[in-house]
Amino acid sequence: METRSDARFTESVQENVKQLKDILPAEDVLVFRFETKDGRRCAAVYADGITDKELLGQLAARPLSSEEAPASLAAAERRILFPESKEAEDAEEAAKEVLAGNPALFIDGIAGALVLGTKKVSLRAVAEPQTAIAVKGPREGFIEDVKTNMSLVRRRLKTPALRFKTVNVGRLSGTAVCIVWLEGTADGEVVRRIENRLAAVDTDGVPDSSYVAKFLAERPLSLFKQAGTTEKPDIFCAKLLEGRAGVLVDGSPIALTLPYMLAEDFQSSQDYFVSPYRATVSRLLRLLAVALSLFLPALYVAAQLFKLQLLPFGLLMTVSGGIQDLPLSPSLEMFFLLVVLEILIEASIRMPKYVALALSVIGALVLGDTAVKAGLVSSPAIIIVALSGISAYTVPDLTGTLSLVRLALLLTAGSIGMYGVILLTALILYYLVTADSYGVPPLAPFAPLVRRDLRDTVYKAGVFSLRERPAALRGKNRTRLRIRQESGAEDPGAKMRGRPASGTETDAGKEEEDG
Amino acid sequence: MDKIKLRQICFLYAALLPATRMLLYPATLAYHAGNDLLFSALGNLLAEGIVVFAIMLLAGRTEQTFFGLLKNTFGEIAARVVYGVFALFFALSALLPLLEQKGFVTQVLYENAPTVLSFAPFFAVGLFACMRGLESIGRIADIALPLFAVCFAALIFLALPQADFAALLPVLGRGAAPVLRGWRYGMARYADCLFPLFFLGHFRAEKGGTAKVMLSFAAGAAATLLFLAVFYAVFADLAPLQQNALAQIAKYTTAFTSLGRIDLLPAIALSLVLAFALCIPLQLCTHCACTAIGCRPLLPALAVNGALLALTVFFNYSFREVQTVFAEALWPLFGVFCYLLPLFATLLRKGQRRRGQ
Repeated sequence: METRSDARFTESVQENVKQLKDILPAEDVLVFRFETKDGRRCAAVYADGITDKELLGQLAARPLSSEEAPASLAAAERRILFPESKEAEDAEEAAKEVLAGNPALFIDGIAGALVLGTKKVSLRAVAEPQTAIAVKGPREGFIEDVKTNMSLVRRRLKTPALRFKTVNVGRLSGTAVCIVWLEGTADGEVVRRIENRLAAVDTDGVPDSSYVAKFLAERPLSLFKQAGTTEKPDIFCAKLLEGRAGVLVDGSPIALTLPYMLAEDFQSSQDYFVSPYRATVSRLLRLLAVALSLFLPALYVAAQLFKLQLLPFGLLMTVSGGIQDLPLSPSLEMFFLLVVLEILIEASIRMPKYVALALSVIGALVLGDTAVKAGLVSSPAIIIVALSGISAYTVPDLTGTLSLVRLALLLTAGSIGMYGVILLTALILYYLVTADSYGVPPLAPFAPLVRRDLRDTVYKAGVFSLRERPAALRGKNRTRLRIRQESGAEDPGAKMRGRPASGTETDAGKEEEDG
Repeated sequence: MDKIKLRQICFLYAALLPATRMLLYPATLAYHAGNDLLFSALGNLLAEGIVVFAIMLLAGRTEQTFFGLLKNTFGEIAARVVYGVFALFFALSALLPLLEQKGFVTQVLYENAPTVLSFAPFFAVGLFACMRGLESIGRIADIALPLFAVCFAALIFLALPQADFAALLPVLGRGAAPVLRGWRYGMARYADCLFPLFFLGHFRAEKGGTAKVMLSFAAGAAATLLFLAVFYAVFADLAPLQQNALAQIAKYTTAFTSLGRIDLLPAIALSLVLAFALCIPLQLCTHCACTAIGCRPLLPALAVNGALLALTVFFNYSFREVQTVFAEALWPLFGVFCYLLPLFATLLRKGQRRRGQ
């Protein structure tokens, strides 16, 4: 809040309204005046558009105007029977509430204001997010209202251990940023660090959670993601259950989760709703696709420029036939095509849907087919760029990073050759193994190796094997699943693991692995 | 404490370090020791194994760093001097592998011989690695193990059909002299037994830890010996001519197939492991220099990488001469630094033993 006033309210409605209007002179802050049965003046100051006026009239003005004036704010609160109300003693506090959509009610002869929770925000419906379509599994997505998002989380985690802590970030926007965690499951140190970092932020506004992600990042200038993101409450809750902390930001449908590990972007919600075998194949495919997306254009250029032996003879003939008489060098040709691909992607995101068909025709026919016929680019190069571009979208959350790293690898391959690709890979790996996301290395559980956590990364083990939460997250409560043996029945988990059931497994005695 | 894990030291010996002995070493060994190359390598590995074993025993008896032990025994100034000398030794020991790897890179990864500048960006990676501390050595070992295991298995699998192990017979047919010469020529490539000495105090020794490290060392040694055996079994008398063994060992299997030289793919992937392995002496050199001088890693890292870049350019066409100097003149130096001094370190004053032991 920019304007500050420590003035306390008096018993005069006129003065109180004037005080509040002095702080909030904007024309959308209105005053609703009415009288009680015995003629005492009342006034409600509210922000137009974000306050439910009908509710204000029905539940506040009507009961007050039909009876004699109450003697105190507490009596007034009892009379109006409003589920959400509280007293505000000074103008600054009341102004904050008015701007949040909760009107301040003044009654002549009573010092102070009664804040009524009649906030009304026009919201879109809870729907499936466009960026995370699931064939199987829940289809709900977060929306722009933090309260709704909190309720979506609460509906899935009905436990007193679920904690919300809301802080306002932004001097002018006053955006509600809510830290969510499961007490006893998440690492308390992570929650404390998130709180501290948010408290240290002094900015004018927070338009989206991506701003908050930057404030929470250990290395804000890093090329790589620093916080997990999701639009789906089921994924968000699953991450909380693993021991992460979450951050919901008012006005953003994208929730953040911390600490972040690179491996989590290779997991899809669907992996948990299909058989572990299918999920494992999908994950390996995603890994392969990311490797193809990153290295294929660079290796093609390096092989063409520096090491033809790498190409099988038949392919070499095809390639050499394709690149004959090309005006561009292999690296320039590939660079040109990758830039075209990025432009097409950028345009397809921003353009109106009704010109999509025209763009597809231009992209596929004019830029693709005609460019080959005109001898500007070769067919193998187009195939490689297309394959690389499509492969990146198997891990949608990493596409931005992948496209930049791909370009860097291509430039290195074109200038230094194969060894440049190897060295850049080494450099990236050195960077990633020593990076840190709230105490957790982003390459965990691979480097440092946490054997137990591999069960839900490269391969997806059956649900009975996922008994512990990821050790890399350092939560206190590691046990995620216990199968209690029914009398006379076998433990299905024991059967799958090939060892006797242990219904009394505890955290104590579990071998500590590093994280 | 705990910058590096015992498991990561195991991975270092099982995966990262054997890869460094798969470039010119097999051809050099075949040249000097002929079909008895395995005995020369075995001699080096046994000597190295004894040193690693001694250091691991020492790790079980003290929580102090090597610097701490030196300081306890000789005082701080002497400890700084020793660390400074070791920094110089690490830089020196990195030279031969650097030139060897430069040769591998320029001959195998490029169609025509490129300039030394193609290899120069390695020093940028080296500089970056030197700034990241000991922690990065361990974590990189975690990544290197699966990469090495898959690529090594693929190469051996591709090479085995062409191998005739009868080429390794008769055993010791030319007496012990060639074996000893091979041992001496290999010495400069076995400086890695020194590494755990500088990891002392930075990892937690655990029960059975020595056995785990020695088993991993044995696995790495077995990989080295297997590679040498297959290499000689494939090429026999032609082996001394097969430079860059990693890229040569499986060429007969793949060169005439429609797939082409697919054996180069694991070889190229292994060059990533080789780059990691080459960074370790540079990182330890920086670590020693920082401890000796008491400064931040930037200056020592710049100095060591700059100096080695200059030496690489200077000795660009002199690998053979450098190798001869290392084997003929400097082998006693390697003997002292790699074998005697680490064994001597076990005699240093340990200070208080850890609780509960």
